[in-house]
Amino acid sequence: MTTTPALELRGIKKSFGSVSALSHVDFKAYAGEVHAIVGDNGAGKSTTIKIVTGIHRGDEGEILVNGEPLRLRHAAADSQDRGIAVVYQDLALVECLDISSNMALGNLPRRFKFVLDRARMDRDAAKVLKDLKVRVGDVKTPVGLLSGGQRQVVAIARAVRMNKPIILLDEPTAALGVQESAHVGEILDELKAAGKAVICVSHDLEFVFRHADRITVLRLGRSVGTREVAGTSRDEVISMITGLASSDLDGATTSNAVYDEEQELL
Amino acid sequence: MTTDMKPAANPARQLKVDLRGAASALLLRQEATLVLVIVVIGALATARNPAFLTDSNLVEILRSSVIYFVMACGAALLIIGGGLDFAAGANFTIGALACCILLTVGAWVPLAILAGLIVGLAAGMINFLVITFWHVPPIIATLGTFFVILGINARLTDGSDVLPLPSGFTQLVQGNLLGVPNDILYAVLTGIGFWFLLERTRFGVNIRALGGNRQAAVGNGLRVVRLDLALYAISGVTAAFAGLIYSARIGAGQVEAGGSSTTLAVVTAVLIGGVSLLGGMGSITGVAFGALLLSVIDNALVVAAIPPQYNNIVVGAILIAAVAVDHLRRQRIYRRR
Repeated sequence: MTTTPALELRGIKKSFGSVSALSHVDFKAYAGEVHAIVGDNGAGKSTTIKIVTGIHRGDEGEILVNGEPLRLRHAAADSQDRGIAVVYQDLALVECLDISSNMALGNLPRRFKFVLDRARMDRDAAKVLKDLKVRVGDVKTPVGLLSGGQRQVVAIARAVRMNKPIILLDEPTAALGVQESAHVGEILDELKAAGKAVICVSHDLEFVFRHADRITVLRLGRSVGTREVAGTSRDEVISMITGLASSDLDGATTSNAVYDEEQELL
Repeated sequence: MTTDMKPAANPARQLKVDLRGAASALLLRQEATLVLVIVVIGALATARNPAFLTDSNLVEILRSSVIYFVMACGAALLIIGGGLDFAAGANFTIGALACCILLTVGAWVPLAILAGLIVGLAAGMINFLVITFWHVPPIIATLGTFFVILGINARLTDGSDVLPLPSGFTQLVQGNLLGVPNDILYAVLTGIGFWFLLERTRFGVNIRALGGNRQAAVGNGLRVVRLDLALYAISGVTAAFAGLIYSARIGAGQVEAGGSSTTLAVVTAVLIGGVSLLGGMGSITGVAFGALLLSVIDNALVVAAIPPQYNNIVVGAILIAAVAVDHLRRQRIYRRR
């Protein structure tokens, strides 16, 4: 692991009109870890992800990718260029396009500068799905024909195919059954083993405690603390989510600080 | 652990599809339905007047579909990309008039043609600017520019035709290559170009994504504003190109040509051709058959000595049927499991 966070947010603020969605969010995610972001509905988890990916524009704060600043007002294409892949909660799939087109969207392979390399696109899609142990009838199947769980897997496979060092997932198990969720967990573990920084927003604490290394809790638009999974309990995290426990903002030692010290020693 | 990605089984639906068989599946392809309708109308017209099937009449049908088709190629791309251009009929006229005015003052033919196309491009870009930066919905924005451009057209010409046009210009359309009229060749080349663009390039996939799910297109890093710009610009250019072909064919720049009837005919050809008004879906071959069908109906009613009032009734009924079929196709693709 390196000492520089793959992705760092510092004091991110965001308002929609008079409504403050984020008042102060910061966290650090490192390569080779699964970093979960948890919080109640309206805590600002999805907004945070959308600011990083350029869908929303942050009002204040800093985004650093491998220590280099990423402008708060950037396009989604810019975050891809900086090595960030994302799986949105709404999946961002195009139903009338087939699986392979959806998986390559934004990065379609080409020949002779502008001709679509359809064969390569299909081949790449089939390979990624095979690597992820997803059985494919035909990658030319329109996404509109797939079930909710199947679409979720396609969205994750798309992020994997992009092979970016940072992968953000917004509620990747929300539409999945037990087996499919376990499969997604395996994929996250493999991405972590491959040295990616995996940032995962989730409501599913069981999933988070099984697969994450660290957890950042958001509450009412603020990051109230980061804990290492090995050093915390589900009760503590729930208390932080609900506001029953004191937050790091009240002076407790943060996991980020401890983690940074550990990183320095490595 | 593995996840099965085969489309989930639905026994009731599977049985239904089996019972309907291949014929039903074929009918759900817009092109096949259109060919069937064209053949039926042709057969009925021939039964009333065998002159319908003569070579000269069939060529005339093809030639009269050229204008619709060339315009419809740009309009189809735009609608597939989630846009709409009701100004196409006015762009058709202003592009033609710009070219014809320059020709009447002695401009070099290629330069005048280029100028006509650039005027169409500019008109398309104005639509884009109004829609993107003033946030006016496409239907309102292009309707507004339609009226503005119509007014400019009338002002440019004082309502008079622009002529005479040099034979060097008119022969570009009135001539032929190995017996094939040039305007039909232009339409074929335009069709091949747009088919390639839509089916074989990244641009084609990107505009389907844009029209199919704009938010997803943004989320996946597509430069959606650039795509919008390209689509409105292309729509403007194809409208102007069709206007040039029309002017060269009749030997004059007509301020009365184009207008709302042309706009509606083009949108109708696009929708009949299977392009979904909701974006994402459609093909250039479907649009070609849509344009051909409009032309066949025009011609068949005349040849069969049926009063022209029936034209609108037939076209309207076919348009409704085409959109209903499009709904069925969407149901088939977008069904939730």
